[in-house]
Amino acid sequence: MNTFRLCIVVAGLHLATAFPSQAADHQIGALFPLSGPNATYGDIFMSGADLAVDHINADELLSGELSLRYEDSQALPQRAVVGMTKLVNVDQVPYVLSAFTGVSKAISTLAQRNQVVAVNGGGVGPDLAQLGEYFWNVIPLANLEVRGLVPYLVEEEGLKNVVLIYVDDPLGQAIRTELETELPTVGGTLVDALSVPTTAQQFSGIAAKVRAAEPDAVYIASYGAQQLQIVKQLRDNGVDAQLVTYSGYSVSEALALPESEGLIYTTQSVDYDSDDPVTKRFVDDYTAKYGRAPTAYNVNYYNAVRLFGLLAHALEDKGQAVTGANLLAERMATDSFDLVGGTVSFQDDGTLVAPIQINIVTDGAGQPVATVDVAD
Amino acid sequence: MLWLQLAITGLQVGALYALTAVGFSLIFGCTRIFHFAHGATFVLAAYVFYYVESQGYGTAAGVLAASVAAVGFGVLMDRLVYAPIQRHEGSFFTVFVASFGIGIAVQNLVGMVFGRSFVTVTTPLSRSVEVLDGVYVSPLAWIAVACAGVFFLGLWFFLRRTNLGTGLRALADNPELIRVFGLSPRLLSTYAFALGSFLVVPAAVITGATAGLNPALGHHVMLISLAATIVGGIGSIGGALVAGFGLGLAESLALLQFDSQWTEAVTFAILFLFILLRPSGLFGRAATS
Repeated sequence: MNTFRLCIVVAGLHLATAFPSQAADHQIGALFPLSGPNATYGDIFMSGADLAVDHINADELLSGELSLRYEDSQALPQRAVVGMTKLVNVDQVPYVLSAFTGVSKAISTLAQRNQVVAVNGGGVGPDLAQLGEYFWNVIPLANLEVRGLVPYLVEEEGLKNVVLIYVDDPLGQAIRTELETELPTVGGTLVDALSVPTTAQQFSGIAAKVRAAEPDAVYIASYGAQQLQIVKQLRDNGVDAQLVTYSGYSVSEALALPESEGLIYTTQSVDYDSDDPVTKRFVDDYTAKYGRAPTAYNVNYYNAVRLFGLLAHALEDKGQAVTGANLLAERMATDSFDLVGGTVSFQDDGTLVAPIQINIVTDGAGQPVATVDVAD
Repeated sequence: MLWLQLAITGLQVGALYALTAVGFSLIFGCTRIFHFAHGATFVLAAYVFYYVESQGYGTAAGVLAASVAAVGFGVLMDRLVYAPIQRHEGSFFTVFVASFGIGIAVQNLVGMVFGRSFVTVTTPLSRSVEVLDGVYVSPLAWIAVACAGVFFLGLWFFLRRTNLGTGLRALADNPELIRVFGLSPRLLSTYAFALGSFLVVPAAVITGATAGLNPALGHHVMLISLAATIVGGIGSIGGALVAGFGLGLAESLALLQFDSQWTEAVTFAILFLFILLRPSGLFGRAATS
């Protein structure tokens, strides 16, 4: 009798696994820094991505439940490759969220080779536009941010002499190249460029070098805890020049730092007061769920997951499998997408185009002062 | 005047390095335990101070709470982690791996409790004032240098003029022999951990105000402590102090000659040179067969 029951159970299990359920669940991956000095970004990225998953499941946009599988990259390329390998080979996800320039470059070959779509919403190194057709960016890259900022800095604010403090990695090097190219075109000068290792914590000596160069503005190209340390230590060590940076600074802990007051930073332009239903729902629900206003990073990872939802929904309607190759084909066949911030389209290189917004930190929050269209 | 500014900056940084390294050097010198979790002690003390201070209890209460946390953590590490391992096996590598693991666990625990974002202790003392034309010094720089001097003198006095200090020095020299005199190496080891952990508190508090904190800070602290201990001479408290100041000065003055990218590398270049040319360090005793 016991043998008979066992046979029934085994047969039942076999039948249950032999045929896929009609409502197939979907799993996508994410490589975020969940520990280490950049872990704070992981929390920020996750909040946007998780909300998009909630919305997609609540709307029953897909036939089955969508879930997000996180792997800890620590914002380090080597760790990210290990995580990406697991996501691709073990979890077999068709779509992976990526962040940080070095990480994104490291995993892009795995994405291309395995036909898995990798979507970056946090790294802004210009190289990210050339990582193959399976690598997409839902964030304008740093070259566009610098291109949008430099004329404002020199022509509107009269800040001609700039010192750059940059972390010596692909992001920092790209911003240096961009400043060296763009500043002379509007009569500005890059008077000094000081590179720092990613692990550096003490910047009082750098502050002395900056003061000696007597710049009008100091551009900081770093990220994570380090960029805040630089801002604090520059101000503490007598650097009064205008501080300027890029979208990596648009996190609440950075804006709340007392030394950030008056700092200028760029982000992609998002009208959070828009009546567009997608944007309004995102802003309302994000504020309700997390008790704070969203920033550009939250938008980007919400959009990255929403993009998957829209593409997978279209594939399911056509009766096609949700694979990386099909997701790519569907994106290329679609002219535009309704994402947070409005209707957007992708360039041929898989990078989203958006105007650049220039912000000034006032009372612990970013206040937009200008919007620049840099698409051309 | 750039060189003067960089020299003063180097002294401030060096004072913090020295304060951090002296505690590690004391523990390692007395017990021969590679206490990698010393970095975690630093992080724990810094975050406890930050929390208590930011809750409005004041600086004194913050320093007291940070001291209790640091000493408590050091003693618990010795009693609950190192003592059982040494009792059963005593392998240097096992102790190191356990310490490394605890360091990682504390880093994550601090992140969960206090948040993983950057925090800083806000104080007007971290703001530099112009003392000479183009030379800026913050009050905290003087405090850091003074703390290093006071704590070193206090430690020197304690080790030379008290029975417990003599016991600790004896523990460093010959743990077996001190049993003959009726002393417990185990108890002395606990005292070494308590004292070494306490010594990290001023550096942790000052770093919270000057450079800010994040839970991953411990590894950097540990690297500096290790470099200063080796350069100064393993087991030499004075050596760790001198090496801490020396490394801070070298790191800062390197900006006069090298690209800023290489200032941290200077620390490890010095370490490498010492390992090659003078393995016993500045004040360490050369090993004899």
